[in-house]
Amino acid sequence: MKEINLGLIGLGEMGKVHLRNCIHLKGARLIAASDVSAKSLRVAKSAGIKNLYSDYNELLDNPGIDAVIISLPTFLHAPVAIRAAECGKHIFVEKPLARHFNEGLSITSAAKRHGVKLMVGYPLRFMPQFAGLKKSLEAGILGDVQIAAASTISNGPFFHRTEYGTPRPVPSWWFDKTLTGGGALIDLGSHLVDILTWFFGDVATIRSQLGHRFNMDFEDYAVCVMGFKSGVVATLNVGWFAEYHRVQVDVYGTVFHAHTGSKSQTFIDHIMKLTSKRARNVSSGFYQELQYFVTCLSKDISPAPSGQQGLQNLRIIEDAYKNTL
Amino acid sequence: MSLVSLVKVRNNTTSLQQSIQDSLNLIQFRFDAKVNKIVIKPNLCYYWDSSTGETTDQKLVGALIDVIRENTSESVDISIVESDASAMRCKYAFRMLGYEKMADDKKVKLVNLTNDSIQNMNVAVHNRSFRLSLPRCIAEADLFINVPKMKYMAGTKFSGALKNIFGCNPYPKKYRYHKWLDEVIVGLNKIMKPDLCLMDGLVVRGTRPQKLGLLMAGADPVALDVSAARIVGINPRSIRHISLASTEGIGSLKYINVGEDLSKFAKLFPKKDAKYKTWGFIAKVYSRLVARFN
Repeated sequence: MKEINLGLIGLGEMGKVHLRNCIHLKGARLIAASDVSAKSLRVAKSAGIKNLYSDYNELLDNPGIDAVIISLPTFLHAPVAIRAAECGKHIFVEKPLARHFNEGLSITSAAKRHGVKLMVGYPLRFMPQFAGLKKSLEAGILGDVQIAAASTISNGPFFHRTEYGTPRPVPSWWFDKTLTGGGALIDLGSHLVDILTWFFGDVATIRSQLGHRFNMDFEDYAVCVMGFKSGVVATLNVGWFAEYHRVQVDVYGTVFHAHTGSKSQTFIDHIMKLTSKRARNVSSGFYQELQYFVTCLSKDISPAPSGQQGLQNLRIIEDAYKNTL
Repeated sequence: MSLVSLVKVRNNTTSLQQSIQDSLNLIQFRFDAKVNKIVIKPNLCYYWDSSTGETTDQKLVGALIDVIRENTSESVDISIVESDASAMRCKYAFRMLGYEKMADDKKVKLVNLTNDSIQNMNVAVHNRSFRLSLPRCIAEADLFINVPKMKYMAGTKFSGALKNIFGCNPYPKKYRYHKWLDEVIVGLNKIMKPDLCLMDGLVVRGTRPQKLGLLMAGADPVALDVSAARIVGINPRSIRHISLASTEGIGSLKYINVGEDLSKFAKLFPKKDAKYKTWGFIAKVYSRLVARFN
């Protein structure tokens, strides 16, 4: 099977996570990276990446690259993804797909027009605990699900910390609503909208209450009530106000209820991660989603969550912004 | 010996004003009616709001402004100052932490010292010379009021009145000074000595936040920090910048507490006990290992 050659565009916080994970991918190798920061390019160089570019256009012009990972600020997703599609590169783009539905549509249209595969990065789907819950739901183990509650409360962009816990500068684009497309709802809510629609299908209605604890022109917390066509009613809670990060999903069925979240690692998992570099990387949703993307490219199948699903999630979030309580 | 007052407050605006006035009366502080330019320096730490115990509550600063105006005149020129830091921009911190709205309501200025003109000065501390900057806004102030937080702080063990003046250093990349942090804190206190310190102990930050409802005041930042360190549970003589400040003549290690009993607040402060230290050590080793292997 031909090995897939990957290019990584953007070496910010998420870009560096992808950089680390790409080294362990099976059936693919990261051969190029681009970023405007020379310091970030040095990080890529030290990871063994040979082709480094300060301009992403040069990376896209490299004929040896089959697919690109776009890990840039949201406002740059559309111009870079469209150009990548024009260059015939398959695309893995970080969530949210774009700042709004129309911008997302321009990306999916370009991908369709140029016949390239498009996947949106929603790592929760690839975490074993959420994938396990999906299997339980499909098997009907919980009975009929009636109510669900999903929360992501985090430090958001205001509380970026280094690995040692000290604060570090927040990139200024995070403070500009025109560049992000919104606040906590589009940033964190897009994860939860994706996981809930994956679990329960199409959304019939959504209403939201947006909060502004930090006096900015974008919401830093939000609560949404979602009605699904399947009859499930779910609440979605997101917040950028806490010092620590937590994802949690509760599902209540007629027989059992299930509770899962991002912090379900056991002591053994921690020991494994400390002692094995590979265990540390392959156990993460970020690694698994990239491995899945590579497998889809190798086998020539359409990845999920696809561009269309990313677009649908943007539509739901736009509706939440419009339908406030 | 310097006077340090301790006053128990409830967190509402009327009570805050009264508590500030009581604190000032206890330390026998009187405003000069002729004062024209007043600078207030709260402690804004990153974008943590006052509920975390990391930053000065804007309600306390708002109440202080009301007290100042009652004791001087309505037309007195008041500025609230802070400077950019490695990971904090004042323009966002002022807005996010409620200072922008409060300043609009109270008709006072918000000044980012990083954008202010400066006067560079050579300051000697502990036989070492430092080139430090004095912002014009503070140099021209008739009255300089320091409104610090009472909290634990990595690197200096404790953050109080003396440490808060480090935030008046207009240079944003403050990590540059971390090698000589204690000396630089003392150096800055030598060129920017506050006339009054009002310590925010409404919510304090030890191993976790704790509503303490305490307001401390003193004209001597060293005496105030020594007294606050006793509440925090750290021997003040083990806090290097406090000892250095005393040696350099900024203030006195000896103080007289007036008002409430200090031990009452010391019992409530969330301190690092043996269990906390053990788990803290394990967590530190673990995070270092993870970071190293990544």
